[in-house]
Amino acid sequence: MTNEKPTEYLRFNLVFRMQHIVLFITFFLLAFTGWSLKYPEPTLQHAGWWIRLWGGAKSAGIIHKAAGVTMIFVFVWHVLYMLYLLGTGKTKFNTTTTIVPVPKDVQDAVQNFLYFFGLGKTKPRYGRFTYLQKFDYWAVFWGMGIIGLSGLALAFPTKAQYLFPSWSVNWIWELLTVLHSDEALLAIVFILFIHFYDEHLKWEKFPMSMLWITGKMSMEEFKHEHPLEYELELKENPGFAGKQKNS
Amino acid sequence: MKTFLSVLILVLGPVLLLPPPVHADTLTCLVCHSAMKGKLKTEKGSFIEVNVDEERFSKSVHGMIGCTTCHKTFKENPHETPRGEVSQELTDLAGRISSKAEVDPIAYAACSECHGDIYKAVSESVHGINIMMKKQSDGAFCLDCHGSPHYIMPAKNRESPVNRWNVVATCSECHEKETIAKKYNLGTQIVEKYYDSFHGKKYKLGHPDVPTCVNCHGAHDIKKWDDPASPVSWERRIETCGKCHPGANKHFVASITHKPIGKDNPIPYYGEKMLIILTISVFIFIVSHVCLDAFTEIRDRVLRKNKEKSHDK
Repeated sequence: MTNEKPTEYLRFNLVFRMQHIVLFITFFLLAFTGWSLKYPEPTLQHAGWWIRLWGGAKSAGIIHKAAGVTMIFVFVWHVLYMLYLLGTGKTKFNTTTTIVPVPKDVQDAVQNFLYFFGLGKTKPRYGRFTYLQKFDYWAVFWGMGIIGLSGLALAFPTKAQYLFPSWSVNWIWELLTVLHSDEALLAIVFILFIHFYDEHLKWEKFPMSMLWITGKMSMEEFKHEHPLEYELELKENPGFAGKQKNS
Repeated sequence: MKTFLSVLILVLGPVLLLPPPVHADTLTCLVCHSAMKGKLKTEKGSFIEVNVDEERFSKSVHGMIGCTTCHKTFKENPHETPRGEVSQELTDLAGRISSKAEVDPIAYAACSECHGDIYKAVSESVHGINIMMKKQSDGAFCLDCHGSPHYIMPAKNRESPVNRWNVVATCSECHEKETIAKKYNLGTQIVEKYYDSFHGKKYKLGHPDVPTCVNCHGAHDIKKWDDPASPVSWERRIETCGKCHPGANKHFVASITHKPIGKDNPIPYYGEKMLIILTISVFIFIVSHVCLDAFTEIRDRVLRKNKEKSHDK
């Protein structure tokens, strides 16, 4: 890499960055306000400083519902935006750049574990998304399906009641409660470990990469972390390393 | 005007600050009873608390009432009977609640003289029938929920055992007991399940609007849940839930049962088990992945200087 060339690669455009910011703000709000409802014990009655931080139980509930609805909107916005990009051909499906899991991801995972244990000599060479990033991404879909839908039903029970047939009412409410709260815990644990480690705590990333604000990563990093996508870009557009590209 | 106000405050201030006056009779009694400590044993073998805390009594809702308004006769003790005129009605009532009132049944029955409507509602309730018809001694009656008659505070007062923030604990005193649950064939985990529910969790967090026991089940007129008169019976449940959840239908009102999730309700029971397995396995996977990744990175930094080569072949 020569120094005189512009050395940044635009990984995420403004829309993606905005979606990510709304997503993580609502995620934090939901996790923080929901946590007190999942574990209300140490905050008996008015004594809990945590619930007071959110303005009391009533206001925490309103924040939780508002954040939940906002998160559903940003999710729908993202899905529609992806469909638009694919429909208009602005983004083309390619096994190297896709977020959709492909057989190579399994290979990558196996190779990575072999490397962990010293059984393989080389780390996997990733495309645009590593298998862990794909996992991270699709976890949101799982979460939106399970937590989002159960949350809507629990927030508006007198509307949801019409959807449930009479043979289900003896267990559906218990199931929704359990689904919502257990899967939310899973989501929090998941984000706390995978995402925080991968994007914040890692030696190269600490305390965080500015990617989420600027959308750009250095060409050096790009080549290092996503070599296959780098090579693909180079093949399609040999001069790209000197320009910025909207993906 | 200013001077007038200042004078008014100066004159009225001390009067308003003084403790509320106590009935003249009461002062005579309190000369001894506010100083006495401990309990006396009656002939029947019950213990009488002889101390009356003057300050607490005078601040209570009954602070203005004379002792003998309720304590009309003294059969088994050193006092002379002050009036001795007790209506037949009161004597009958005292007889009916004798299983509960070990110390002074007449005084216990005397609640009805002022609180007639409530007394009638209680006597028709599941708690009242248990005492007055079935002659049980372990059920709830006036004082089990409201505390000592000498220190009753308004329900709005945070100290009152029937205050919104105390009433669940007050009901739990009996309804958490396994012996009570077994004897009366009640659920054993009803309080626990309340605290597990959205209502109970929000209650714990101090939510001002969520229902406590009495908001759904009623208080003085409480009935067993399968009695059609109970607000939580299937006949009336839609109306009761509808107070807070307008539009609730029969699919909605099935949601609260106070029953533990057991094998008899397999979908949430095994559903929860599966979710726990899923959560733990994902947890193990990601934690081990993160740890392995971190160790590998340290290993590469310390031991393998040629790391970059693996990427750029």
